[in-house]
Amino acid sequence: MREEDAFQKQFDWQLTKRIFGYLRPYIWVAIGALVLAFLNSATNRLYPFLQAQVIDQYLIPKAGSSFAAVGIDERWNGIVTIGIIIAVVALIEFVVRFGFNYVLSYMGQSVLFDIRADLFSKLQRLPLAYFDRNPVGRLITRVTSDVDAINSFITDGLMTLVQSIFVIGATAILMFTLNSKLALVAFAVVPILFFALRFFQTQFRKSYREIRIKQAIVNTALNENITGMGTVQIFNREARQRRDFDKLNTDFLKEFLKAVRWFSFFFPTVGIIGNSALAAVIWVGGGDAVRNAVSIGVLYAFTRYVFDFFRPLEDLSNVLNTLQAAMASAERIFGILDEPEVVTDAPNAKKIVGGFKGEVQFKDVWFSYKPVGEEVLETDWVLRGINLHVKPGQSVALVGATGAGKTSIISLVSRFYDIQKGSILVDGTDVREIVQRDLRKHIGVVLQDVYLFSGTIESNLRMNDESIPLEKIIQACKYVGVHDFISSLANGYKTEVKERGATLSTGQKQLLAFARALIANPDILLVLDEATANIDTESELQIQDALAKVMHGRTSIIIAHRLSTIKNCDRIIVMRKGKIVEEGSHDELLRHNGYYATLYNLQYADQELAGV
Amino acid sequence: MLKGFRGLGFFFMQYRVKWILGLTCVFFSVGISLLGPPFFVRFVIDELYAGRATLETIGLNASYIILTTLAANIIVFMQRQFNVVSSYLVAYDVRKAIFNHLTTLDQTYFHVTKTGDLMSRLTSDLNMVREMLGFGINAGSQTLLRLIMSLGLMIWLSPTLGFIVLGVFPFIAGLLAIMVRIIAKRYVAVQEQVSLISAKAQENFSGIRVVKGYAIEDREIDEYKGMNAEYKKRSMALALAEAPEWAAVGIFMNAIFVIVLLVGSRELLYQGALSGNAAANFAGLTPGKFVQFFTYLFELSWPMLAVGWMTNVFQRGSSSWSRLQEILDAKSMITDARADPSIKEVIGAIEFKDVSFKADGRALLSNINLKIEQGKTIGITGRTGSGKTLLAQLIGRLIDPSTGTVLIDGTDAHNVPIQVLRGAIGLVPQEPFLFSDKISENIAFGLPNSTQTAEPNTPDLERVKNAARIAGLSKDVLDFKEQFETVLGERGVTLSGGQRQRTALARAIAREPAILILDDSMSAVDTETESRILNELKTVLANRTVILIGHRVSTLRFADQIVVLEHGRVLETGSHEALIAQGGYYAEMERKQSLQTELEEDEASPTLIGANSQ
Repeated sequence: MREEDAFQKQFDWQLTKRIFGYLRPYIWVAIGALVLAFLNSATNRLYPFLQAQVIDQYLIPKAGSSFAAVGIDERWNGIVTIGIIIAVVALIEFVVRFGFNYVLSYMGQSVLFDIRADLFSKLQRLPLAYFDRNPVGRLITRVTSDVDAINSFITDGLMTLVQSIFVIGATAILMFTLNSKLALVAFAVVPILFFALRFFQTQFRKSYREIRIKQAIVNTALNENITGMGTVQIFNREARQRRDFDKLNTDFLKEFLKAVRWFSFFFPTVGIIGNSALAAVIWVGGGDAVRNAVSIGVLYAFTRYVFDFFRPLEDLSNVLNTLQAAMASAERIFGILDEPEVVTDAPNAKKIVGGFKGEVQFKDVWFSYKPVGEEVLETDWVLRGINLHVKPGQSVALVGATGAGKTSIISLVSRFYDIQKGSILVDGTDVREIVQRDLRKHIGVVLQDVYLFSGTIESNLRMNDESIPLEKIIQACKYVGVHDFISSLANGYKTEVKERGATLSTGQKQLLAFARALIANPDILLVLDEATANIDTESELQIQDALAKVMHGRTSIIIAHRLSTIKNCDRIIVMRKGKIVEEGSHDELLRHNGYYATLYNLQYADQELAGV
Repeated sequence: MLKGFRGLGFFFMQYRVKWILGLTCVFFSVGISLLGPPFFVRFVIDELYAGRATLETIGLNASYIILTTLAANIIVFMQRQFNVVSSYLVAYDVRKAIFNHLTTLDQTYFHVTKTGDLMSRLTSDLNMVREMLGFGINAGSQTLLRLIMSLGLMIWLSPTLGFIVLGVFPFIAGLLAIMVRIIAKRYVAVQEQVSLISAKAQENFSGIRVVKGYAIEDREIDEYKGMNAEYKKRSMALALAEAPEWAAVGIFMNAIFVIVLLVGSRELLYQGALSGNAAANFAGLTPGKFVQFFTYLFELSWPMLAVGWMTNVFQRGSSSWSRLQEILDAKSMITDARADPSIKEVIGAIEFKDVSFKADGRALLSNINLKIEQGKTIGITGRTGSGKTLLAQLIGRLIDPSTGTVLIDGTDAHNVPIQVLRGAIGLVPQEPFLFSDKISENIAFGLPNSTQTAEPNTPDLERVKNAARIAGLSKDVLDFKEQFETVLGERGVTLSGGQRQRTALARAIAREPAILILDDSMSAVDTETESRILNELKTVLANRTVILIGHRVSTLRFADQIVVLEHGRVLETGSHEALIAQGGYYAEMERKQSLQTELEEDEASPTLIGANSQ
């Protein structure tokens, strides 16, 4: 239904002004385009006019006069002169036309580039919550087809509008110069043609809308039946589904045939209007010619000019649709650009030089994924009064059921979201008082499923930092035990990552994640260590070893699913429904025989038995 | 290229009369529009020139222009009604044929072929084929005919001028062909960059957590801008090739125009055509003919540009068609070839004899031997991927075993006509698939009067309501405003996971099947409701064979016999008590689930249950 909006959205002057704002840096290019558009329309219309001169001045004498006084050779020379003029005009037209098309592309492309860059940069500054709300597919549409709509607003919309007006204007001027009576006759066709075009375009639009709706219905049915074919077959419904689909297919066909009917009327109507104008010109002009009021050359020129209105008028009646269609896109794009950057740096935010000692403190933290400032319902709270103190160099394991709030704790340390109540301190400073870049630079997040960007293995390991020497990267990879694997690849560290590492095994990806974290050398480490299914014992041991190495000497907060990881940590925090319910070492907690003990029996005891 | 159209001929020939009529119309509409108005304009000019013109002849010729125009355009109307309509009729037929064909294909096909792929073939590929038949044939024949007729008429009007045009023509065509090729190449380069940019945006937005986590926003922006700068560069290179295309056609046409103007004028001047009495010279070039010649000359620029375009339409159409033909070529592996038509009914005894199932060379089920007596309830459990669902699919012949036999009522399932076999089965799949239709229609989905080809009766509402009651769905439905008339799906109500499962259950129950298969079908229904439903089922579906696939011990308890699968083999089998006593996988499962209950007290956390069953 999204395309539907495109037509319902009215022309909006505010939005148009904002789009114009993007043209400002190219104002001279735009002016150049206008000049070229003008020259293009003017040169293009000159030919019938010049041809009329050949006929009237050198071929056929005007009534009452004769060429008797002029020699044939002289007349020939005159014709050659006009021929040369036509050739020159044609050359100018060639250059102008070429230039106009090129400049127009340049302008459109430049604006396209600027809007895309703005949009993308803006998206980089938007908080994570924005990405939680907006599916990736929608954002892609914004930076692709919506931006393209703005491009066509400028090139197909505005410029076509201007050019069409120029063309009609130039034709009118030349016609009135030749003969104003015939010009009026020929011009009579303009409003008729324009209204006919508008009429048909309205019908087409209605028709297309119906077609799109029917298309959506057919597509839904197709999709549903293909996906649910198993169900259809097991319930013996094939015949009925065929019949039902045939109904939709027939409706779809009928809608198309309606559109075809409009088109079948459209082309003949336009043809008839054009040729009626020709007949009118012949009738009126011919009559005047009989009375010697019009010359044959002029009459000829008019037989050509009457057909020249069709194209610009068609463009003109189309332009409004293009402009309107762009409005909806513009609104969506500016909607993103106007989106408040909720998680922003405070004006006097603290810069971090050298790094953190690594102390992390949660003081009565209440958190919900609802935007700060909005009312939070009792059920919306994800964290309910968390108090937690992690000393520099200490490691903490978070355990609990899914939805207990472990992931939120990790997201909050890096300030991916802002909290509603309480405070989170790193080295005694509230995270809201620290420059976000600096904060995140010194905090390493390790996700179990390493996110690989397109590029080489090396660029994925060093991430942004070009200053890290390759030796250090190799050293880190050796340390976590992924070096041998990388070296075995065709181009070693320079191997291109394909399909985001789809060909890598889970174990290899996890080791890469640790290597990446180690290379960034963060002061605080946050790890999402999810239980890895289907992994062989050797890799499992490798991962455990790597994790221990990365954690060594660093403040670490780990969402732990491996018993070995949990046991390795200095302290275990047991979470339940947004609260910390138990805290202590593994043995203490087992002895306590509370929630952790049950969790252990359910989830981890097997690991102990399996010996991994 | 003709090879690419294998199979399309059949659909095309359905409308052969229309195509022939359509092409005839093209011939006449082009002929009349080229011969009509330009001739009358020429007469007027020549008469005026000769000084013989009267208001009457002028008026007469003007009305001839109108008349011929009307005639030509009425034919244009008919031409579209024949040609373009036929193309849509073919598209309709192809869509129908493919849909019907898809309903005959087995599940293996749908596993291998992605839905998105099928969808794009049925939409954009079909559209390309339609465009080729409609636009391609209609506009293509029209353009070609205009080109040939115009050239012919020009030569007829003035051989000298005509051959000049004809002589220059190949050069223009050659030049355009080169330009079109360059443009196509650069266009591809632009498109490649477009996909790179989209991929980059996709990558960035999906990985935004990592981007922010490593504070690499600036690098990302730089990279994105760099890609866009490259896109701009390529677009401008394309513009550089594209901008001269129209301009080049323009300048070539103008070059011909100037040459024709000069040569023609010279002829008029020196051949004495203008010397006084024009009538005497009407055999040669006249001002009127000269003017008429120009009309045809200007007809040429469009076809020249269109030829490249048309070739493209046909090329794309042919490759699109071959993708559609591929679907039509697919054959179902599951057929009624060995069916015994005398079998009209299934009682409900099932036996797996040495059944193995392989896919992609991997054995997913190996040597399964299992006997399920009629009227018994059998429970099947095991880890994800152990082959439970495959067992269920084998019974309804959604798949066939690679080796071994599935026996239904003691005969090979292959001997039972598929319609009869499936008619006796009520399957509740793991992920229930409901259609965006009314709830009543969804529950009545498999009822005989819904499956007939004839106009269906409204669903047997009593039966629907009863099935809903047994499935524990009545209360939910009564809460909806439209009750059983409530429409599901995108345009209607979105059901919760539990509601969906219970609707699918009601759909299966409504059939009163001899064999009811519940494939882990109540995972989103809480334990208590599930027990209630199963108790209800026991009384209603007494004497029917029930296959109960699941993870919950509380569910499996209902079974007379329980089978534990692992890696496609039977690991344990026996009654609930026997398996508990055995102390194996099932006993461990039971232990964990009671711990789970303890842990979650009275609040069930479905996620943990899921995790535990993995």
